[in-house]
Amino acid sequence: MLSFLAPMFLAGAAAAAVPIVLHLLKREPEARVKFAAVKLIKEAPVEYTDRRRLRELLLLALRVTALILLALAFARPFVATGAAVVSTGVTVVALDTSYSLAAPGRFARAQQLARDVVAKAPPGDLVGVVTFADEADIVAAPGSDRTLANDAIAQAATGFGATRYRSALSAASQHLAGRHGTIVVVTDLQENGWDAGDRASVPEGTTIQVVDVGAMPANLAVTAVRPLADRLVATVHNGGAAAREARVHLTIDNRPAGDAVVSLGANQSGEATFAGAPRGASAAVRVEDPGGIQADNVRYAVLGGTSKPSVLLITGSGDASRDAFYLQHALATGTAADAAFQVTAASGAQLAAWTDDQLSPFAAALLLSTRGLERHGRELLAGYAQRGGGVFVAAGPDVDGDVVGDVLGAGSTLRITTPEGAKPAPRVLAPADGRHPVFHPFAGNPASLGLVTFQSIARIAGTGCQTLARFTTGDTALIECPAGDGRALIFASDLNNRWNDFPLHATFVPFVHEAVRYLGSARAHAVEYLIADAPAGVKRAPGVVTVNAARPAGAGRLIAINVDPRESDPARLSVDDFQSAVTRLKDAGRGAIQGEARQQEDQQHLWQYALAAMAVLLAAEGVLAARTS
Amino acid sequence: MPWTAHDRPFLDPAVVSRLGTLELKARTVVEGLLSGLHRSPFKGFSVEFAEYRQYIPGDDIHTIDWKVYARSDRYVIKKFEEETNLDCHLMLDVSGSMGYGSHHAMSKFEYGACLAASLGYLMNRQRDAVGLTAFDETIVSMLPASSRPGHLMALLVTLDRLRTAHRTDVSKPLHQLADTLTKRGVVVLISDLLDDPEEIIRGLKHFQFRGIDVIVFHVLDHDEIEFPFERATRFEDLETSEEVMAVPGVVREQYLKQMGALIERYRRELGASGIDYQLVDTNQPLEIALLSYLSTRSRSL
Repeated sequence: MLSFLAPMFLAGAAAAAVPIVLHLLKREPEARVKFAAVKLIKEAPVEYTDRRRLRELLLLALRVTALILLALAFARPFVATGAAVVSTGVTVVALDTSYSLAAPGRFARAQQLARDVVAKAPPGDLVGVVTFADEADIVAAPGSDRTLANDAIAQAATGFGATRYRSALSAASQHLAGRHGTIVVVTDLQENGWDAGDRASVPEGTTIQVVDVGAMPANLAVTAVRPLADRLVATVHNGGAAAREARVHLTIDNRPAGDAVVSLGANQSGEATFAGAPRGASAAVRVEDPGGIQADNVRYAVLGGTSKPSVLLITGSGDASRDAFYLQHALATGTAADAAFQVTAASGAQLAAWTDDQLSPFAAALLLSTRGLERHGRELLAGYAQRGGGVFVAAGPDVDGDVVGDVLGAGSTLRITTPEGAKPAPRVLAPADGRHPVFHPFAGNPASLGLVTFQSIARIAGTGCQTLARFTTGDTALIECPAGDGRALIFASDLNNRWNDFPLHATFVPFVHEAVRYLGSARAHAVEYLIADAPAGVKRAPGVVTVNAARPAGAGRLIAINVDPRESDPARLSVDDFQSAVTRLKDAGRGAIQGEARQQEDQQHLWQYALAAMAVLLAAEGVLAARTS
Repeated sequence: MPWTAHDRPFLDPAVVSRLGTLELKARTVVEGLLSGLHRSPFKGFSVEFAEYRQYIPGDDIHTIDWKVYARSDRYVIKKFEEETNLDCHLMLDVSGSMGYGSHHAMSKFEYGACLAASLGYLMNRQRDAVGLTAFDETIVSMLPASSRPGHLMALLVTLDRLRTAHRTDVSKPLHQLADTLTKRGVVVLISDLLDDPEEIIRGLKHFQFRGIDVIVFHVLDHDEIEFPFERATRFEDLETSEEVMAVPGVVREQYLKQMGALIERYRRELGASGIDYQLVDTNQPLEIALLSYLSTRSRSL
């Protein structure tokens, strides 16, 4: 389909038509003269006007075409394909393939509803199909052939992912930007499809329709498995409206290891405990639920390994209880039986004797002091970050900005300065990007961070760094900087109750946990993953698999892949609640469309052909005009 | 001595065309012309005394009565009423081609009729017998020459009733009229001469052979002389209705060449035969044509 990068220049072509229109409007009737000396005219070499008129029309056509080609060249034409095609309407069917639809008969109903949507799409609309769970896949690009859309729906199948409406709407919007269109979401309207504070943006004018597949059937799900020292505990949830008895079976290394029965009230959870220390490599807990969702009937766990990511604290003396008392305890905070993170402390001087292999297992390194951090230690941390490690810098009184620059590797533009003689002044912190994972726990109550008072801060800045939070004075509070394959968070104050009272507030622990979790997520350290977070190269299906660790070479480790338990929650949204979470943005996605259009135009260079054709026409016009005059 | 006019302008044919009747047009043209001439045009072989009049500068001194001067020492002019001594035949072409007229002038036919009326008026006033023959491919109307006082009105009425219609065949009526004339005189042909020149010249020479002087007024419209058309035009023949579409810019040069050659041929061959030829543009004042006639008549007497 022919499109234009700068269509306003086509107005020039319209101007070329003005003389023609004027000519037509003011055209005089054919001149007729009754004349006496016609005989003398006949004796002259008469050029009959039919031939001349034809020649003049040809001249006019050549000139007008040349002008149109000139305007066309300036309008930068190109043959648009894919998203660059913007003239027709589009209907995109977003079909939910999360595992909550895997109960018997439910997905077939969803497919039928999707086919109905395709059949009812406005004539002339392009129809596309997107399947979505954790991520969205475009299984049928918008096109006029509805058979392809129906085929894509027929071939769609439920997986093990959880519902994420945002991914569905984002993928569908890519095909709508710049066009009027409709996104029809065929889903079971699970409430957990929207994360807390989550919103999706679609282009202005887009119509969102929701086709409800219906509520989940009565369902039992294993939502957690915790191997402890002397027992293994499985949590089972009854999502039905009636009390049920759940029969739970434990297998260790694929051998039956115990059974349990748990009585569960309506929409309640209970624990099945299997006594005795679980011995083996991996365990699977299964609940009998033939009529419900199958994917959440089993959950896997790795035995004998720790599920606690380890964190390295780099302090002035290497004594965490003295230099990082609050942080150490915050990281160690977990359930009653288990800590969240395993904490190791080292001084900058001690790092001088460390190797890459020693540092590599840590999920994150928290730099609280640069005292004694010599060149080797800096290079060690820089290499760690380059290979995907996560570094958190608390730019408190013990951190030297010049040293930190080396820690992030060559090319880092990070600057940390501490104003000389700056007097303490109270200020509070406010997230600049509330959607960042670090602030995920505060999505429902962002004001809670405002209770923390910061008396002193450092000035932090860096090219290419993203500001995540600011102080009320306008100074940058938290930034994320690129550091090779890893991540680096720079905090403009300390974490030890010296420049602020952050450790004394309830927001400290979740902030620290989310920050470390975010930093550590760039590398695989955990032994249990949800489907959506499974390491690259691992099949996205529940089970226990062996993956290769980065070091030492050839060594492998077991990890458990499980479905997201939130998908088992039967709580549902209303259609209005769904619609209220969608924001319609003017020009949303238009930039991407324009970028693609520009790229296509650059590849095709049709304007050059238009100019060449115009030159040829003008040459022909010159020849013809010379013969006509 | 040729006839001359005062420096005052002649009447524009467009103005004349707006005058009411043909008689009024003729009178206006002729009286206007005569009042501007230094010398009276009326002169004949035998005259009848009318009255005496005080000499005024500008009168011909030959007309002074010297006997009266001898008796009374005064210059007195003898005035005479002229007698008819010339038969004049006006031949007016009323073929279809004479119907052509551009926007701002009289058609060739109107111009020719007005010229004929003026000549008739002039001739009648000087007691010449004047007749009228209208023709296209044949003679359509004929009024014998007469000098009776009421004859002028008959001539004007005849002219007023004429209409253009048919094709031209100039030579045939010329021969017919030449055969019928028995008395010497003057034939005035008013035509656009858009016919075979050879035949026309032969017909005119027929009059010469019979001892009759011929004056030819070749009446052409300004458009026919200049061919000022610009747009591509469908030209329809006024006589044959034949149509030709042509671009004037392309054919103009050749057309003008053809027209120039035609005029030049008439001028050359008629002049060589002693026939007065006068090309008349319908944009020209009628007086110029009348002066040409008077000049020829003075030579004839």
